[in-house]
Amino acid sequence: MKNEYRPLNLFSLFGVEMLKIRRSGIFWILLIPAVMMWLPSAMNANVNFLVNPFDISPEHNYFIQGYMGLAWFMIPATLIVCTVLLSQTEIRSRGLVKCLTLPVSTAKLCLAKFLVTIVLAAVQLVLSIATYYGSALLASKLYAYDFLLPLSYVCRCASLIYLAAVPAAAIYWMLSILIRTPIFSAGLGLASIVPSVLMLNTEIWYSYPPDYPFYILMTEYGRIAPDVFGAEIQLIPMLPIGICVTVFSLAIACARYGTAERNSDSL
Amino acid sequence: MSGTRVPFLQPFLETRKLRRTGFCPAFLGGGLLGALVPAVNMAVRAESFTSQSGSPFRILMDANWQLMAQLNIFLVVCGACILYHTEYADNGIQKARSLPMRPLCLFLGKLTILAVSCLLPLCIEALSLLLCRAHWFSDSAGAGRQLLAGLAFELVLLLPTAAAMLFLSSMCQNMWISLGAGVILVFFSSMLPQGSAAVALMPFASPYRMLHQFSGREALWMCALCLGEVLLFCAAERIYHNIRRCFS
Repeated sequence: MKNEYRPLNLFSLFGVEMLKIRRSGIFWILLIPAVMMWLPSAMNANVNFLVNPFDISPEHNYFIQGYMGLAWFMIPATLIVCTVLLSQTEIRSRGLVKCLTLPVSTAKLCLAKFLVTIVLAAVQLVLSIATYYGSALLASKLYAYDFLLPLSYVCRCASLIYLAAVPAAAIYWMLSILIRTPIFSAGLGLASIVPSVLMLNTEIWYSYPPDYPFYILMTEYGRIAPDVFGAEIQLIPMLPIGICVTVFSLAIACARYGTAERNSDSL
Repeated sequence: MSGTRVPFLQPFLETRKLRRTGFCPAFLGGGLLGALVPAVNMAVRAESFTSQSGSPFRILMDANWQLMAQLNIFLVVCGACILYHTEYADNGIQKARSLPMRPLCLFLGKLTILAVSCLLPLCIEALSLLLCRAHWFSDSAGAGRQLLAGLAFELVLLLPTAAAMLFLSSMCQNMWISLGAGVILVFFSSMLPQGSAAVALMPFASPYRMLHQFSGREALWMCALCLGEVLLFCAAERIYHNIRRCFS
């Protein structure tokens, strides 16, 4: 009989990884912050009518202020939770040991899991846009003022913010693989959120990838109110550094994935 | 002797479970990170702080405590997650439940450990504040007393967060759920308005408060209410176990 073995490609592995988390309830962790963040801002949307020193229109102010919490805290935090979820599903019940017995390359497995992290971030992006429109509609009804911004603008802005989070996601993924004790990988990731606003205000902000999403939002702010922040995204130090960090982190993650399980002493 | 229960030994048992989980190094590292905040802040822009009038501790706390408190809360969240993760990871909790021991004992033992571990980062941060004060400020009258009072106050304010987070992680079998919920709660506590008294008492929001924001009487009330909240979460844990037993 002919040998029918064909190695799994990255996309089928990705499908398998999505199946593994189908009952994890991660969707709620992505949805709850998106809803709970926009509801209070819809209720208190009248603060946007106050005269601000930068002369921003209320609808832009509403959008920027809402996305600030997301860009500063919620995106990195959910990325950390996702990486903990993905590594935990594999470590529980020695799932990774079983994976090593399969004819699957560990690097591909690792990349497939990273792809899941990115897809979960994309799901949150869609949810955040949807909840933004929901809350903006509510605010428009409550205060009889049109808070809605055009869809293309919102989508472009939000997508850029999430795109800028990819290097940070790669770093968190690498941390969760290099550091086997979950408290350290999660703790280090969470600790990295705290100084991101401080780093953004320094000259060398581009050396700290976790503040990229917030940087993108601040340039958007700067475009509307030029006094607050520079309006131009400085791609030159940011893009090469971001790509290098992503590739480097993923390379290390792929190289180190499953090494502890291969070492029979640790079982 | 059968059925002898020694509840006060529980914390000592719990410490043995924490070996090789990285719990102690995490609290040590978190404390050092928190201690770096005022030092770096002072080193980078000392003039803007030394030129202010008022008590040096107040200036230092006002400038740095938001970040330090947030680090402490993150530490508590991670610590609580890992404390129950050691039980759930290899079904250790089933073995613990088969022992002649109340589930609440487990909770209280873990709470004691978490409370004592919080002292470590708080002490390191207090030491850092003291050094910053000695290095950059000349006036040093009554430093020790102020510092100790502040330290004790912050510890008491951190306790409701610890109890709430431990209660949450005792309910979640999977660590990422408790971590995710904890992260969401930290996020919302940092978004809450700072002024109101009800917000000041909420777990996850109370550690941002500072002693000099309150009069002596108010501070005592805060401490009493925070300890009351801890008791409330212990009671909630007790009730939760009774309910869980009915359904599982």
